[in-house]
Amino acid sequence: MPSSSTTRVPVEERLFSLVLALLATETGLTKSEILSTVQGYRQRYSQYSDNASLERQFERDKDDIRELGVPLETVESPGDPGNNQSLRYRIPKGAYDLPADVVFSAEEITLLGLAATVWREGSLSAESRRAIMKLRSLGVESDEPILGYAPRLRVRESSFEPLSVALERKTIVTFPYLKPGDRASRLRTVAPLALIQHQGRWHLQGIDQDAHGSRTFLLSRIVGPVGLTNRSFEPEGSDFAARALDELERIWGGNVAEIEVVAKSDAAIRLNKRYGDRSPSNTRLTVHYSDANILADEFASYGPEVLVLSPDSLRDAVRSRLDATVEAHRDALDDAESGAQDD
Amino acid sequence: MTERRPPMHAQDKLAFLLALVPYLMDRDGVSVGEAAGHFGVPAEQIRDAVRLIAVSGVPGETSQYQHGDLFDIAWEDFEENDRIVLTHMVAIDDSPRFSAREAAALIAGLQYLSALPENADRDVIGSLMAKLARGASAEPSQVAVAGSQSDETLTLIRDAVAAGTQVEFDYLNSRGEHERRRADPLRIESVDQDWYLRGWCHLREAVRTFRLDRISELTVTTEPLTYHPTDVTLPETLFEASADDLTVDIEVSSSALPLVADYIPEGTQLSEQDGFVRTSVRVAHYHGLKRLVAGLSGVLTVIAPEEARQAVTGWAAAGAARYDTPSVSVE
Repeated sequence: MPSSSTTRVPVEERLFSLVLALLATETGLTKSEILSTVQGYRQRYSQYSDNASLERQFERDKDDIRELGVPLETVESPGDPGNNQSLRYRIPKGAYDLPADVVFSAEEITLLGLAATVWREGSLSAESRRAIMKLRSLGVESDEPILGYAPRLRVRESSFEPLSVALERKTIVTFPYLKPGDRASRLRTVAPLALIQHQGRWHLQGIDQDAHGSRTFLLSRIVGPVGLTNRSFEPEGSDFAARALDELERIWGGNVAEIEVVAKSDAAIRLNKRYGDRSPSNTRLTVHYSDANILADEFASYGPEVLVLSPDSLRDAVRSRLDATVEAHRDALDDAESGAQDD
Repeated sequence: MTERRPPMHAQDKLAFLLALVPYLMDRDGVSVGEAAGHFGVPAEQIRDAVRLIAVSGVPGETSQYQHGDLFDIAWEDFEENDRIVLTHMVAIDDSPRFSAREAAALIAGLQYLSALPENADRDVIGSLMAKLARGASAEPSQVAVAGSQSDETLTLIRDAVAAGTQVEFDYLNSRGEHERRRADPLRIESVDQDWYLRGWCHLREAVRTFRLDRISELTVTTEPLTYHPTDVTLPETLFEASADDLTVDIEVSSSALPLVADYIPEGTQLSEQDGFVRTSVRVAHYHGLKRLVAGLSGVLTVIAPEEARQAVTGWAAAGAARYDTPSVSVE
């Protein structure tokens, strides 16, 4: 039933038809076979033109389908290697189907539903929703009628999404990075290896292409758009996320600061909850940290409520921040002197 | 759930079709209502998808999409009884694998859940992560989440949500005042290192956001909830601007502008010169402003009003003064 070229085929019908056609073929279909026969393309295919815009459409559709985790393969024709026109496309069933031994119990389905709700927004939330949709196709009902209750995590940093794409495609990225303690950002070129959340902050671990070494970046300090280059890389090693997390944990455990807080102040309440014994009257605290500059910024913000006792480098860093703030607002100092005690 | 769903893109619709087909195949027949309930989608979305599946298929030997090359359903049952029975199947016979990022999102979510105290004895989490990795079409992306320290208050609030009861607590507001508050807990969220309770506040009779570290003496009451999490649509932003907010002019290093973007209202004028931007931020009070500015030393300066500059200077000078006298408490 060849449709007339005036009926418009919805995008999802074209994508669905493409997946079905490529799943059904064992040897694969050439691009011209696809464009001339598959629903949604064939209506727009012309025997007499170069079909350039239809070809571009096909390229975009392939990307959309692959992004869903569908293993769309390209096979070279054995008799004609290197010839683009004779490339064949297919989706091998074995690589498409969820393996038969991957089955989930009702309890596991409940837990996975809960794991998906952890993500509040952004790409992780969209990916989770899609994964849950696939799980539901298995038809297992969860053992609790209503989803449980999990604290939600926000991924505020807009750099997260492009970085997770680059991570998957193994693409080298560039971004302006404002190193903690610096005043101006510098453009970094990085091969991304892992995204890790530690102590509530998201980090990117990767190989800095200029410094030729492994570096960890705070996503909150990526102060401009992340650019995906056209260069890809092959990571050397495995388990980058777990190893980066261990490394951060090690650094965090090894850096210790001693501070004194003013009893019952905002600093006492917040820092005691985080590092201390949770009593707002406790005034001596031991604080672990992974980045001295970030911690110095945080302590400086507490003004007179926090006094750093050790290490000296952190003491100096906080003090020079406070001095610089006074300096920058100096002409207001004379008037402020009498009001130096905060109310 | 009352959470707004973003409109579905063609890609999501495709994912839905690929998930729906194997579900239908495993059943001899299922009502539209049951399928909608299972997938958590509106019934019309199921009907639309079924209508599309029923006319889809493969080009086949003739490349003409002949009848036998297409899916088919029991049309009468569908149109008269709202029941779906697949009578002919094509190409698909199993659920699709997860993508690398889908598996990674769930694995990272599980890592996070496994750190919560009530999941400590759930030994299924480890094997579940391995299963997700095996069910993915490529190695899951390298995303990891460290467990955060669990907080007693957090646990209590979760108990209250599970029991469907109100909580009562002492709240120290950002101006430093204590108040006894009662709330229907709706959701707990974390932003960076901070945890927030979002709830219906019985004192203010409105949805409010409470910072967990300012909450103390929390008790789980026996009062049932007035509003349940499913009754209330929570705004996406944690804090709403208020008419009483103060406007403060600032100069900030262009590189550091994103660090204060949350405080800059939409449509605010920005002028840039020599790597510095002049703009204005909105804050609830100078009490919060001086802390914000002191934490951005070297990259942000308050220009006006004078009162704001004084608040910042006084705060930083008092902080610096603590280092002037050699501290006697250092061993």
